Amino acid sequence: MKVTFKIWRQEGLETQGALKTYDVDRLSEDMSFLEALDHLNETLVLKNEKVIAFESDCREGICGACGVFINGRAHGPHDNMSTCQLHMRSFKDGDTIVVEPWRAGTFPIVKDLVVDRSAFDRIIEQGAYITAKTGTAAEANAILIPKEVADASMDVAACIGCGACVATCKNASAALFVSAKINHLNKLPQGQPEAHKRLLEMTTQMELENFGSCTFTAACEVECPAEISINSIAEMNARYVKAKLFG
Amino acid sequence: MSLFFKKSIIAATGLFLCIFLIVHLSANMLLLLPENLARGLYNSYSTTLRESILISIIAYLLYISIIFHVIYAGIVTYKNRQSKGVRNVMNHKNENSSWASQNMGVLGVLILIFIVVHLVNFWARVKLGIGENVKTDVAGNMDVYEVTFTLFHNIYYVIFYSILMIPLGFHLHHGLKSAFKTLGFYHKKGLKILAKTSLIYAVVMSVGFGIIPIIVYFK
Amino acid sequence: MMLDSKIPEGKLEDKWRNYQAQSHLINPANKKKLNIIVVGSGLAGAGAAATLAEMGYVIQCFCYQDSARRAHSVAAQGGINAAKNYQHDGDSVWRMFYDTLKGGDFRSREANTYRLAELSAPLIDHFVQQGVPFAREYGGVLANRSFGGVQVQRTFYARGQTGQQLILAAYSQLSKMIRAKKVEMLPRHEVLDIVVINGKAKGVIVRDLATGEIKRFAADAVVLATGGYSRVFRLSTLAIGCNGSAIWKAHKRGAFFAAPSFTQIHPTALPQTSEAQSKLTLMSESLRNDGRIWVAKKMDDERKAKDIPEEERDYYLERRYPSFGNLAPRDIASRAAKERIDAGHGVGQLKNAVYLDFKHAINKFGKPVIEDKYGNLFTMYEKITGINAYQEPMKISPAAHFSMGGLWVDYELMTTIPGLYAIGECNYSDHGANRLGANSLLQTSIDGYFILPNTINNYLEGEIGQKHPGVEHPEFAHVENEVKVQINKILEINGNRTADDFHRELGKVMWQECAMSRNRKGLEKAIVQIKVIKEQFWKDVKVTGNNNEMNTELEKALRLADFIELAILMCTDALQRDESCGAHFREEYQTEDGEAVRNDDDFKYVSVWEYNEGHFKLHKELLEFEYVQPTVRSYK
Repeated sequence: MKVTFKIWRQEGLETQGALKTYDVDRLSEDMSFLEALDHLNETLVLKNEKVIAFESDCREGICGACGVFINGRAHGPHDNMSTCQLHMRSFKDGDTIVVEPWRAGTFPIVKDLVVDRSAFDRIIEQGAYITAKTGTAAEANAILIPKEVADASMDVAACIGCGACVATCKNASAALFVSAKINHLNKLPQGQPEAHKRLLEMTTQMELENFGSCTFTAACEVECPAEISINSIAEMNARYVKAKLFG
Repeated sequence: MSLFFKKSIIAATGLFLCIFLIVHLSANMLLLLPENLARGLYNSYSTTLRESILISIIAYLLYISIIFHVIYAGIVTYKNRQSKGVRNVMNHKNENSSWASQNMGVLGVLILIFIVVHLVNFWARVKLGIGENVKTDVAGNMDVYEVTFTLFHNIYYVIFYSILMIPLGFHLHHGLKSAFKTLGFYHKKGLKILAKTSLIYAVVMSVGFGIIPIIVYFK
Repeated sequence: MMLDSKIPEGKLEDKWRNYQAQSHLINPANKKKLNIIVVGSGLAGAGAAATLAEMGYVIQCFCYQDSARRAHSVAAQGGINAAKNYQHDGDSVWRMFYDTLKGGDFRSREANTYRLAELSAPLIDHFVQQGVPFAREYGGVLANRSFGGVQVQRTFYARGQTGQQLILAAYSQLSKMIRAKKVEMLPRHEVLDIVVINGKAKGVIVRDLATGEIKRFAADAVVLATGGYSRVFRLSTLAIGCNGSAIWKAHKRGAFFAAPSFTQIHPTALPQTSEAQSKLTLMSESLRNDGRIWVAKKMDDERKAKDIPEEERDYYLERRYPSFGNLAPRDIASRAAKERIDAGHGVGQLKNAVYLDFKHAINKFGKPVIEDKYGNLFTMYEKITGINAYQEPMKISPAAHFSMGGLWVDYELMTTIPGLYAIGECNYSDHGANRLGANSLLQTSIDGYFILPNTINNYLEGEIGQKHPGVEHPEFAHVENEVKVQINKILEINGNRTADDFHRELGKVMWQECAMSRNRKGLEKAIVQIKVIKEQFWKDVKVTGNNNEMNTELEKALRLADFIELAILMCTDALQRDESCGAHFREEYQTEDGEAVRNDDDFKYVSVWEYNEGHFKLHKELLEFEYVQPTVRSYK
């Protein structure tokens, strides 16, 4: 199969970027989207051109490294799927595919399709943990956690940190990511002692990083590869009110 | 002030305005009664509103709500645009979110224009006495019914009033459910009910307000 | 050089306790003056970095990904083993120790393996404390499931994302220490060489992947936690960036490499569908709890799976291994699949797969139960293949997965270079010739959280007085220069073939000759072929772009250069081991019905290789079995 890629090329943060057109032949429907980019890169090397920088690692939808805007959608045309899980069978022979990096003020472009998502790490540093030293744990079954609670916590803990929520949001809001992390720990008994502190510090950092605010367009929950519901944000808001009132 | 707080102000004022709209629409329904009944009831109702202290307080709350809703929406929208920075060349938002949710600002501006015109048409004349004098009816009340009746026999006003109820409906549909979530309502079943309620509410308001000028026009 | 494994005195049960009681301590004031480099931020690296920082050491942690959270521990699906005996099914530390030792076909140290089992229970406590949402029963207690190679239920899990949840816990603890300014985290930094001064590891040379800048970092000890090297096969279940460069460079600087040829081929991955494929996605082994593996009895059966009646299906694992059935250990299950595929019973486009069927389980328990247990795996399968596995069987195929082999380490997890430690998958320690399912997360976590923080003091205690020489030492300049020379050389070749092209060629040779089954002739041929690939690579590879920028093509080529050399050692190792054991199956050594024949008389040792100017010298660490008599490993 043959497609035309229009891919964002940009040397670095300070330089101008632009979409560049590449006609790519000899693709197969069984190839993943990233393998098609690999293939394109190999042809670029042989043509003595620089390869397109893009990120990917596990290529099975769990590490969260990959993520580009494909034909106007974060992670491509399907709902709740990461870029690495997208296959060429989702496109038709002769299609034009526009590929852009994540766009958000807080995700500066490093090169081509690679952006800097370290803001997420800095939010995590502000309390997405349980303060307990290695070697101080009590017997695991001493903490009973109802299945429903563990399951609900797992639902949000599944976040892979890819940044699609921010990229698809018109406000570049990180609310889905932050709420997922906060709710994961704040739902569990282990997370209770630091629940309010965690919530306030993490949301403060979220603002310091200049992420926008959530206006519940719900685009994020459609693009989230971990299928985290937007209700998670409402829950974070409720916890925020509680933390402000009683924290 | 945190983003959450700013957003909460928009949500809370929005919800207050939603309640106001219910009262407003119920009263406007009086206009649909036969003329002999409608005129008396409607005029005495508006006189009561003007003379009650309680209603005056609520009216001021209403003005403040509108002002805060608009100002904070402006601030938050500006901040959000600045957070987003450069936009995508291609963006198929319609595939992952409703049009209304992506365009609350545009819808809001249209509604604001409507409110200004609406206030000039009624509030300025009746309350501030600006423009043509308002007559009194047989009971001695200001004949607001007559003001309405005259206005809605101007086809341009009818179109303006009715058409602008469409953006209102979209704005309310997204705004109502979004406001609840912003304020922290996350009960799973409740949210499903909320989604339906928002739709029904928005349709009732939009159609209700929108149809009145048309009916009055043909009266 | 004599290999001293430093096994402590005492009975098996007491060894670790004795070790801890006798090891040196360092007072907090001195710990603040000692700094440690941790390479890698997976479960081993992040766990070690966080714990060492809590203890008071100053840590610098590197990872090549853009965030520590993405390390490939994240992809482990099925679970983590622990001898908790919550199911009251006769489990114990001893049984877990025995299962692991037997699973590894008696090619690991008793003391190490016992310690692994012993520390498993506290590890679960630890992770629960950190907020890992493990699966629970309705009453609120932890749930378990079973995994290949064992007959008890000792696997703890968080849906099909156990690795993700554990790495997120480790990453959160790491973040906590970053905030406390005890850890300096350097993502997008790849370690390209180790600096050894006066025989001790004193630092690393690093490439900043965002800018291409080559940097020096000095420390009092260096910990490698770089994971597995199965990307040597190119097609593997590993992440695209997984590499063996740091351990290979360490090997070339004097760290011995143990049992490099012991690589596990996982039986349940998705089959290859095209030449351009970059990786093989793993489907958790836990699927074998409820899925039944089969092929058609008839050769080249072209019918659809649903059209093949029960009596014409060959449930070959249940047939060959009635007592373990579909839960036979990985090496055995993979080999059995290969045997059926080679015999012409393979299914799928390229006839390279077997069926994994849930029909019976769905009929028996109902779809909701199966959905609850494996829902995300079924979803993943459908995303990749476009097939709904609730309606038709999955197609699975063996794929290169885990490296049991790695840098040789003693009981303290120190390599043969003093001050250089190897933890997690990159060392050779507990798994022997084959790793049991759900023991990987266990070993890597225990190395990082519990063992290294207890053993590293013993070495550092001797370093307190003599602060490391710092990056100004001439050896740093020397090693940095070697790194730069290599990079420039690769960039200057400007040949005709891409790095990926060489990698595909290497992968094919390795998969053909050094994977599930091996033979002398094939291995000898492979070594010759790989040497040719190496020669060609250094003559004909083409890498565009420059060193002083983000250059993903250069990263690939640098990693591949090391893989090529490592591949030669892997084949050399497989060649010297004239027996079949665990994942290492030599065709010359098998019974009539195709079972492995181990040779304890001649090969009851760990092969340990010393690098010497392009040649490898074999050392043997003899294994002594005081508590368990090696038996024929049977799962029939």
